[in-house]
Amino acid sequence: MNPGIDLQERFIETLMELGLTPGVAKTIWLPIPMLLMIIGATVGVLVSVWLERKISAAAQQRIGPEYIGPLGILAPVADGIKLVFKEDVVPANTDPLLFTLGPILVVIPVFFSYLIVPFGQNLLITDLGIGIFFWVALSSVAPIGLLMAGYSSNNKYSLLGGLRAAAQSISYEIPLALAVLAVVMMSNSLSTIDIVNQQSGYGILGWNIIRQPIGFMLFWIAALAECERLPFDLPEAEEELVAGYQTEYAGMKFALFYLGSYVNLVLSSILVAVLYFGGWDLPIPATMIAEWINVDPNNTLFVLVTAGLGLVMTLLKAYFFLFLAILLRWTVPRVRIDQLLDFGWKFLLPVGLVNLLLTAGLKLAFPFAFGG
Amino acid sequence: MLKFLNQVTTYGKESFQAARYIGQGLSVTFDHMKRRPITVQYPYEKLIPSERFRGRIHFEFDKCISCEVCVRVCPINLPVVDWEFNKEIKKKQLKHYSIDFGVCIFCANCVEYCPTNCLSVTEEYELSTFDRHELNFDNVAMGRLPYKVTQDPMVTPIREFAYLPPTELDGHNVGSTAPRAGQTPAEIVASTPAQSKPSKEG
Repeated sequence: MNPGIDLQERFIETLMELGLTPGVAKTIWLPIPMLLMIIGATVGVLVSVWLERKISAAAQQRIGPEYIGPLGILAPVADGIKLVFKEDVVPANTDPLLFTLGPILVVIPVFFSYLIVPFGQNLLITDLGIGIFFWVALSSVAPIGLLMAGYSSNNKYSLLGGLRAAAQSISYEIPLALAVLAVVMMSNSLSTIDIVNQQSGYGILGWNIIRQPIGFMLFWIAALAECERLPFDLPEAEEELVAGYQTEYAGMKFALFYLGSYVNLVLSSILVAVLYFGGWDLPIPATMIAEWINVDPNNTLFVLVTAGLGLVMTLLKAYFFLFLAILLRWTVPRVRIDQLLDFGWKFLLPVGLVNLLLTAGLKLAFPFAFGG
Repeated sequence: MLKFLNQVTTYGKESFQAARYIGQGLSVTFDHMKRRPITVQYPYEKLIPSERFRGRIHFEFDKCISCEVCVRVCPINLPVVDWEFNKEIKKKQLKHYSIDFGVCIFCANCVEYCPTNCLSVTEEYELSTFDRHELNFDNVAMGRLPYKVTQDPMVTPIREFAYLPPTELDGHNVGSTAPRAGQTPAEIVASTPAQSKPSKEG
């Protein structure tokens, strides 16, 4: 594999040529990828909110937002601006501290998880050694925030919603982790970069979806449940619980929940792409393309183009799953809470364990194909 | 052991069945995405009301004989008929007539029973005002004719489902002048053999 472009080194080198010490150059570099990632995640949310509205409209033979910008593209921006300017109501008899802390605790871990999201060989904030485990660990912080929000609202619907959210997140964390574990077992590493590299080289044939179809289904279902998307949106089931733990929230605090849920959905979609669909890897191996068009695989322009294509590929794959999630929203009805927990504990968990065992067995039997 | 294996097989089969059903459902929703939106974008596009549409009531002042039948057949005795007996011509003379369309339920009973046909229904339904008292139409306001949707240059008229040519399903795809399915009343009259004496039961 070619190492791709290293933006960090280039940037620091350029700054050092201007006469800065390596320490100062590095300090200037540090916040840039983080800022970029936060901006990217927020823009991703705007795009997904717009897609959600447009695709929902299409599925119901409506038009959807149309006049706010071309094709209604500015509708989510208008939503955001509206929420920012709304009064920040804290209802009487709530616990103001927990009430404020709840949404913050929900949003921050989700944004933190973007630390390990790779868009290319060097296009990520940090290549953490614990990589994907970091995400699994962070996603279990969110239910605390949800429960906090639900409990502090001093409202029965909020409390029920918060409890449901906690129960759901905790039960689906386990199958999620088991599905991830099977992938990790094959790539012998928790790092997201290594997971993608293990899949790349053979194009579409090398992707984990071929070797882990059950794991993929497990992961996708559990990820939907973690994001509280429609078949599993019990915590905010509007017909029974008004809006669940969000009932008492307005203005910016509500916006944080809203933002958090969409950031989480985009994050989950990207991670499905990374774990099972080869991340930034092209369906046809880059080296093969280089051979066809007679270019040296280490040619700077070629590397640059493949890196750009990789970024586009990651986003394309991620948004395909986002589309699937939206389509699922209008296809499947909501499950009951007992069905939800039954499904999580009695179906997904055993299947996850069997899948893990199967992967382990196959790894021992065919080490060349299953990353021995 | 065999029983357990059987159970596992059934469970597996059921799971696959469930997954298949979800797949079928997804294909249905996906299919809906390529259909044209049925939305009629109201201020710019309007449906042409059907010929039996019961909109705002039209009133012809000169035809009215102040018999007050409209008041008697109205479910809430809504029309206000202000008349005076003119001794010279020995007839009731109508001074004012009004119906409050904020209260009217558009049942068109008055139209049905009016002996001189001075009442009729129009296709006007855009009656919103800033003050509900503005809906209390007097005989002058009721004498106005509504503007036709088909003649408004700002509006794209769209025909309702029942008025489309055969096999067409969406008014957006058809011009407002294409012939509708079946025969129009005028065509039915033209095609029936002419009768010298119209029969009593017709």
